[in-house]
Amino acid sequence: MIKKILALTLAILMIIPMFAACGKEDTASVYYLNFKPEQDAQWKALAATYTQKTGIPVTVVTAAEGTYEQTLTSEMDKKEAPTLFQVNGPVGLANWKDYCYDFSGSKVLGELTSNDFTLVEGNKVYGIAYVVETYGIIYNKTLLAKYFASNFATIKSIDKLNNFAALKTVAEEIQANKTALGVDGAFTSAGMDSSSDWRFQTHLANMPIYYEYQAKGIGSTDAIEGKYLDNYRAIWDLYINNATCNPTVLASKTGTDAETEFKTEKAVFYQNGTWAYGSVKKDDSGIGLEDSEFGMLPIYIGADGEENQGLCTGSENFWCVNSKASEADIQATLDFLYWVVTSEEGTSSLANDMGFVVPFKSAKAASNPLVTIANEYIAEGKTSVSWNFSSIPSEKWKKGLGTALTQYAAGTGTWDSVGSAFVDGWKTEYAAANQ
Amino acid sequence: MFKKNAIGKTITTIIMTLISVVYISPIFIVLMNSFKLKTSISASPFVLPGAESYVGLENYMRGITFGDYPFYKSVMYSIFITVFSTLAILLFTSMTAWYITRVDNKICRGIYYFCVFSMIVPFQMVMYTLSKTADTLNLSNPVGIIVVYLGFGAGLAVFMFCGFVKSIPLEIEEAANIDGCGPIRTFFGIVLPIMKPTLISVCILETMWIWNDYLLPYLVLDIKNYRTIPIHIQYLNGSYGQSDIGAIMALIVLSIIPIVVFYFTCQKHIIKGIMAGAVKG
Amino acid sequence: MNKRQLKFYFPIFVLPTFAAFCIGFIYPFLHGVYLSFCKFKTTSDATWVGIQNYIDAFQDPSFLHAFAFTAVFTVVSVVLINVLAFTVAHVLTGGIKGANAFRTVFFMPNLIGGVILGYIWQLIFNGILQNWSTNIKLNSTFGFWGLIILLCWQQIGYMMIIYISGLNSIPESLYEAAKVDGATKWQTLRKVTLPMMMPSITICTFLSLTNSFKLFDQNLALTAGEPGLQVGGETIYQTEMLALNIYNTFYQNANTRGVGQAKAVVFFLLVAVIGLAQLYFTRKREVQQ
Repeated sequence: MIKKILALTLAILMIIPMFAACGKEDTASVYYLNFKPEQDAQWKALAATYTQKTGIPVTVVTAAEGTYEQTLTSEMDKKEAPTLFQVNGPVGLANWKDYCYDFSGSKVLGELTSNDFTLVEGNKVYGIAYVVETYGIIYNKTLLAKYFASNFATIKSIDKLNNFAALKTVAEEIQANKTALGVDGAFTSAGMDSSSDWRFQTHLANMPIYYEYQAKGIGSTDAIEGKYLDNYRAIWDLYINNATCNPTVLASKTGTDAETEFKTEKAVFYQNGTWAYGSVKKDDSGIGLEDSEFGMLPIYIGADGEENQGLCTGSENFWCVNSKASEADIQATLDFLYWVVTSEEGTSSLANDMGFVVPFKSAKAASNPLVTIANEYIAEGKTSVSWNFSSIPSEKWKKGLGTALTQYAAGTGTWDSVGSAFVDGWKTEYAAANQ
Repeated sequence: MFKKNAIGKTITTIIMTLISVVYISPIFIVLMNSFKLKTSISASPFVLPGAESYVGLENYMRGITFGDYPFYKSVMYSIFITVFSTLAILLFTSMTAWYITRVDNKICRGIYYFCVFSMIVPFQMVMYTLSKTADTLNLSNPVGIIVVYLGFGAGLAVFMFCGFVKSIPLEIEEAANIDGCGPIRTFFGIVLPIMKPTLISVCILETMWIWNDYLLPYLVLDIKNYRTIPIHIQYLNGSYGQSDIGAIMALIVLSIIPIVVFYFTCQKHIIKGIMAGAVKG
Repeated sequence: MNKRQLKFYFPIFVLPTFAAFCIGFIYPFLHGVYLSFCKFKTTSDATWVGIQNYIDAFQDPSFLHAFAFTAVFTVVSVVLINVLAFTVAHVLTGGIKGANAFRTVFFMPNLIGGVILGYIWQLIFNGILQNWSTNIKLNSTFGFWGLIILLCWQQIGYMMIIYISGLNSIPESLYEAAKVDGATKWQTLRKVTLPMMMPSITICTFLSLTNSFKLFDQNLALTAGEPGLQVGGETIYQTEMLALNIYNTFYQNANTRGVGQAKAVVFFLLVAVIGLAQLYFTRKREVQQ
């Protein structure tokens, strides 16, 4: 009996591959697994334009916030795997190197303004950074001017606001006089919901990592020491204690909450980056900030010489083409990328609709006041802070740090566990990632 | 128990009424909040919508277009997948169950034990390989997933049908055979009508399972094109860069409505089905 | 119907189900067992590593924690669900007015899917907890009881239906005999009702046992495993149950997929033990009848 069942089972199992063989269409297509939810609609529109012009189908899927790696992992395993995906830097590349096509000699690579924007290993170009972004503490100029003009203000002009002590004074004075200023708090809520926690467990965590790397003159490490953890704590305390809400409720605050608070001018400061412009600018119903009202401060954490510190500029968005895709699909993907960075529709979508600064020769200037501000800092000769979170050993590290920060804010956890997540977690995750 | 004591009975009824009100209140809280301004939902979820916080159907209007995927499509796919998977399971497994019970040779018994075995395997055991197989076979679409549901849901259904077929007296079928009915006519003309109670039980159990299932369709369906309601709601909550709690409340209400309608229209069958399922299971 | 005649109908009656069963169960199952001994990122690059994945799985503190949490959770929820469901069923079969309406109400939550249930209760729990400035995701005690309440709410109605059908099938004559013998209400419950209800109790116990043990959707939607606790460089998620732990091992890091699959096999074996126990008890019960 067992023999017969086995024979039958085997027969059916053999039919399975036959099914598989007959399904695949031969036309070339592009499947882009996009990382940035903020620009999902714009990518879809751009893809539709391309399809209309060339007849090549382009599918754009955006992973939900915090699930990119997870979605990529399961999608890459499928027959119709993404032909175009993203890695966040060297660590991400280490995971996916076997699946990355070598861009050498491609037309899109030739469009890059500088080789700094590539992920290179040996003589192979595995990734192309397609957007350079900047983050810091965005502020509402009108509200801050109101503070400077008030009688309780110790700091009277933006020039004086150039270190952590000054930022602390300003934030605390705004918080103490929030009714007089008509706001709910100095900072927007530092929400730790997955739609917002990356602002703190990744972007803010970059500050202590950056200064430690600077002090040691390194660009990555197998064991972080946590030299600047006290500074990390200081800025985190400042964020959570001078915000629109009580620190204990941050666990459930979302990205939209912070966005709404800033947009409706209930908070003066909002830690976020150039990509946030579209969601807080004045909309059709007249709510939001005018372009002239945007300002951006570097994130001061009390490190030595920070008066000269600029904004955090870098990229964690590298395009990679799936080397295991069919040749036709790879070619279609490269053509699509070339079109995006050179054509009229592509460049204007990147610059105007998405508000990106892109490192390509035919790029248009982005109509994004936050980008203008970022350029001004560079023109003034301030030192930009690089994005070192591409050297963070894993997504799990970020998640662990996030949950520790949340509990510290709520008072149910200690700063020690944040430190442990930061230092010990790094070691564990680095070891796990580099077995 | 309480037959003699009329006062005791009244008190019990009152207590039960109170408990029932509390028990059903979560559904009403969601319903109530779906009409409230999104900022006042998380701030004060237990307050009735007031003049300031009442927004009428605004959450619903926003909810059906919210996110990057139209809600109506996920409703359509949910309905399509649930209805046709259930029908497929009912038709094919009842046929199989009758056949393997009647033939009862070694192969049939082997299949039966495989089915019983599959009932105890948790989904996590096969989640990855199943989604991979479905992808390889081009089953990652609403039609293909029917095959997946038929395969993964076959165990319980075959088991329940077998239990029932055993209780059908052979004489009826033999009489039909003498009258010249082949197996197909015998099955569809005689056996299937007799099986109606079990068909209903299985139908109820499978419908509830498939309609509410999250992980299987999430892993099997092609994310580029298809979403069911549970996937849609999970995706929207907190994950899509911006989360709109008002819209989510509205969508929760909209997704509960079909199943509540289903419940009230076939309540009698559902209750019977569960009783039958329990006795067999 | 003679069997020889039937034999030719195998392709019509059995093949569709059996083919789907191979695709939907047998092949994935065998493939899963095989992969649990491999290191792989995608199936195409699987390499055999022997039992290393199992060693890693048992050395993973988060897996052991998830197991302990799941075990405690299962015991508490099984007891609560069954005691409450039995009580409700007992009251409803006592001839009170509107029993059908009550039954409808208690059963209703069972129709709602796990993910949606999770969000409904998140709203309610957080609405209550915010008065004390806290949140379901901040405290593992709240998380634990939150999940218990959620599961009770969902499952009591279902078990109640089974208990009602059991209670209704107890012959009235037994109660009358007990009354004649002068038994008190409590004695009747213990000596007549409970023994007669053993079949229903066995079924409900095992149904609630496997449901609690395999819980996933509700766990994901209500707490997602939060809060996390730092233990020597590892973050242990305090309310993460086994199914969610396996899922996270599998999909959050492409490097540990083999370990995730090994955990799934262990999980399957645990569930199988529970399943076999159920079979054993059910059979014993059938013999007794």
